[in-house]
This record gives sequence, C-alpha cells and structure tokens, in this order.
Amino acid sequence: MASTTAARAAVGAAKVVKPIFSRDLDEAKRRVRELYRAWYREVPNTVASFQLDINVRQGRDKVREMFNKNKHVTDPRVIDMLVIKGKMELQETIHIWKQKTHIMRYFHETEEARPTDFLSKFYRGHDP
Amino acid sequence: MSGLLKKTTGLVGLAVSQNPHERLRILYSKILASLQTMPQDAAYRKYTEQLISDKFTHVKTEPDVGKLEQKINCGQIEEVIFQAECELALSRKMSEWKPWEPLVEEPPPNQWKWPI
Amino acid sequence: MAASLMRFVRGGLGRSFNSFRSSCVLQQTRLQSSDSSETSPTVKPKDAVTHNQLTAFGEYVSEIMPKYIQQVQVTCFNELEVMIHPDGVIPVLTFLRDHTNAQFRNMIDLTAVDIPTRPNRFEIVYNLLSLRFNSRIRVKTYTDELTPVDSAVTVHKASNWYEREVWDMYGVFFANHPDLRRILTDYGFEGHPFRKDFPLSGYVEVRYDDEVKRVVAEPVELSQEFRKFDLNTPWEVFPAYREPKEAPPKLEAGEAPEKK
Repeated sequence: MASTTAARAAVGAAKVVKPIFSRDLDEAKRRVRELYRAWYREVPNTVASFQLDINVRQGRDKVREMFNKNKHVTDPRVIDMLVIKGKMELQETIHIWKQKTHIMRYFHETEEARPTDFLSKFYRGHDP
Repeated sequence: MSGLLKKTTGLVGLAVSQNPHERLRILYSKILASLQTMPQDAAYRKYTEQLISDKFTHVKTEPDVGKLEQKINCGQIEEVIFQAECELALSRKMSEWKPWEPLVEEPPPNQWKWPI
Repeated sequence: MAASLMRFVRGGLGRSFNSFRSSCVLQQTRLQSSDSSETSPTVKPKDAVTHNQLTAFGEYVSEIMPKYIQQVQVTCFNELEVMIHPDGVIPVLTFLRDHTNAQFRNMIDLTAVDIPTRPNRFEIVYNLLSLRFNSRIRVKTYTDELTPVDSAVTVHKASNWYEREVWDMYGVFFANHPDLRRILTDYGFEGHPFRKDFPLSGYVEVRYDDEVKRVVAEPVELSQEFRKFDLNTPWEVFPAYREPKEAPPKLEAGEAPEKK
C-alpha cells in the first residue's frame, strides 16, 4: 500500500485516486493489448465450438469493432474497468457458459434501423 | 462430569483438549508478548491486556476445568482456546495495521447524512 | 490520541445526541398520546438497556480503531452502525471477528445502496452476527463506480457470492476477490440493474426469431409511453426521521458561506 501511495505522489495527480490495477495510461494500454490478443486468438475456437455461421475474419472484425468503440476513453481507471468486463466476457466465451444466442448478439443481425423520415415512421405505425 | 473424562465438546470440528491449562498459558503469554510491541497508550493494547491478564489469573489459580469455564464465562474451555488463538492472530495483524493512528481520511461532507 | 478522542466525541457522541434528540421527539409524542389516555401497542417500547450496551460497545470499537472508524451510531431500532473508511474493511471486519469481546463470526448479509447525489455514490453494508453475545452489528463503508473495495472473502467466506451479487447489480469492483463474475444476470447482459440510473424497462428485450432460429435481443421498444405512478402514501411513514423544526435555521446560519 505504501508503494502505491509513493507512486501516486510521484505521478503527482491533481486528485489522488486509488487505482484499480494500472497506475498510468501505458500500463492500462498494455492490458488492453493483452486482452485484444487473447480475444484474437480465441475467435477461431469460438467459431468452431459454437458452430457459428460466420467465418473467422468476420469474428475478428467484430472484436476490433468492439475495441474501437471505446477508443476515446483515456482514464486508466475506466480502461481497467472495461478490461475487467472484457476479461469476464472472454472467460464466459472460453468456458462455453454462453450460448450461441449470446455470441450472435454482438452482430445485431435482426435489428432493423429505426425510421428517420416522416413517411416511414408513419408506415411503422407508432412513435411519430 | 467431574472425575470422568470429557468425550466430546458437542461441536463439530472442535476436539477435546487434553491439557487446556498448558495450552491457554502458552497462548495468553504469546498474546501478551505480542501486545508489548504496541505503543503504551493504544486502546487495543490497554483493553486486551486487561482482558487477557484477567483470564490468565483465572487459569493460574483455578486447576479445575469446570470451575475455570464458569469463571471465564466464555463457553467450554476448547472454545476459550479457540478464541485465544483468534486473538493471537488478530494481535499480530493489529501491530501491522496500527489502527490506533489518527483517522486516514475524513468522510466527504454529507456522506453519512440520512435521509439525504 | 487526544485529537482522535475529540474526533470520536464529534463523530460518535454528537451523533448519539442527534438520536437522543429524535428519541426526545418520540417520547414527547408518546407522552402526549398517554395524556389523552391512548395506548399505542404498535409503537415498539424503548429499550434503554440495550441502547446503552450498544452505545458502549460502539465507543469501545471506535476507541480501539480510530484510524478507520469515522462515525458510530445506534439507530432508533437499537441497531449499532459503524461507519468506516473503505481502506479499513479488512481490519475492522477481522477485528470484529477475532476479538474476544466481539466475536462477530457470521456474515449475515453484504449489500450496497446507491445514492447518486453523493460524491461516493455507493454505500457497502456488512451485517454481522455474534452468536456468542447474541448481538448484531452493521458496518458501512462507501465507494464510487471506479474505486475498488477490498474483498472480505479472506475474512468471511460467506461474502464470496454476496460480493459477486454487488458487482453484478451495482458494478462495484472488489479487489482480490477469488472469483468475481456475474451471478444473477444473463451472459451478455450489459449494465448494472440496481443502479438508480438503470431504466426500469431495461435496455434490451428478448424474443425468439423464427428466421435465425434462436433467441435474439433487440433494443427495447415500448408500444406505449412509460407511465409513472405516484405511489407515495399520504401518511408520513417514518416520523422518527423527521428533522427537528429548530435545526434548519441553525444549519443555514452555519453553512451560509458554502451555499454561495
């Protein structure tokens, strides 16, 4: 505990906060890269074991998309939290606790785009 | 039960102690030794020293187990031994944590105000 | 030491004065009711002996661990509450478990409360039971969405699943937990449902799709505007928690510079 306090003092942050795992952005980024690598390697196994109707390329693109969705985050603590959640998802996928439906939810296959112009809203019937 | 050998404590996982006086004497002296490392005015040391030395005098003066249990009044002698073991472990951890120091951080204002 | 004692006087006794004042309010009302020769069997009789015992034990604990304990109070239902700093979760719980005068060896419950207006919005609440002394204690600490709290699994094995539940429902991260993962929500579920900012209708709705031959989740779409009902009773439910009428002017006088 004393060492973390010293490290925080050395960083000299304006507001002293307790780190989750990473003390600075580089360490957080390293964790993100580790998680990305793990997901990247897991995709072929996932596609095979869940018998998904996608190829490995699509799966890896989806992984990349999911990571890119949070690329604006710069707070190491938020990054750590996202990495923790990503690791839990990965664990659920590896152990096949999830089912096919949970994996395919990432792909939003059945969702229709919400109507934007007046006429198509009118045809949909509600939410004018 | 006087004169007979005690067969069981009636509690799962708690075996009958063969020589409780000896065991308690060792544990209590260890606790007192571990308390010596704390500062003199630490409340934990003050209260625990008093508590343990009270029990220690009972253990020294009372050879009969049944009467000793009544005097200590903390359950069967095996339970008292277990409590002493816990206290010993706690006292060692306490000298690491140093809880007699001043408060680490005040709570943010209105943190404990209820209703909001 | 003197400073810590002062702090206790401020934190603990000041608080007990407050509860004393509210109990005065209660007693007054009860006196009035007895004046009109009405007995109220629904009001729990005051138990001064238990109250004093609990106050004494609370003072004992906070004197021993001034480093972590911020405040001690006994509620109007004779429940001892110890408010601690989040760093002190393990020391205080271990002390309460192992100390010969405490022996709170059973963890009855561990949960959280979400109060979004506070800077540390989550309160973590530990309920402990001492079988030896037939007594209960409540330990409270606080955290926010990103600050990890030390896991109590090393002290109480029972807290394992409770902490998973708090993680799942509130998103409080417990450091050094042996097996922190979801426990109640479905795989792939996003968000923490017990947070106050989680909508009552949720974010996704689930249905079976005949084309893709599996269950699909889609963003929730309400065919009717979500209706809000006013379910408050017209009766005052917790009169004991009513603020005394004299207090607000005093507070405003003291806190006037802060408000500006």
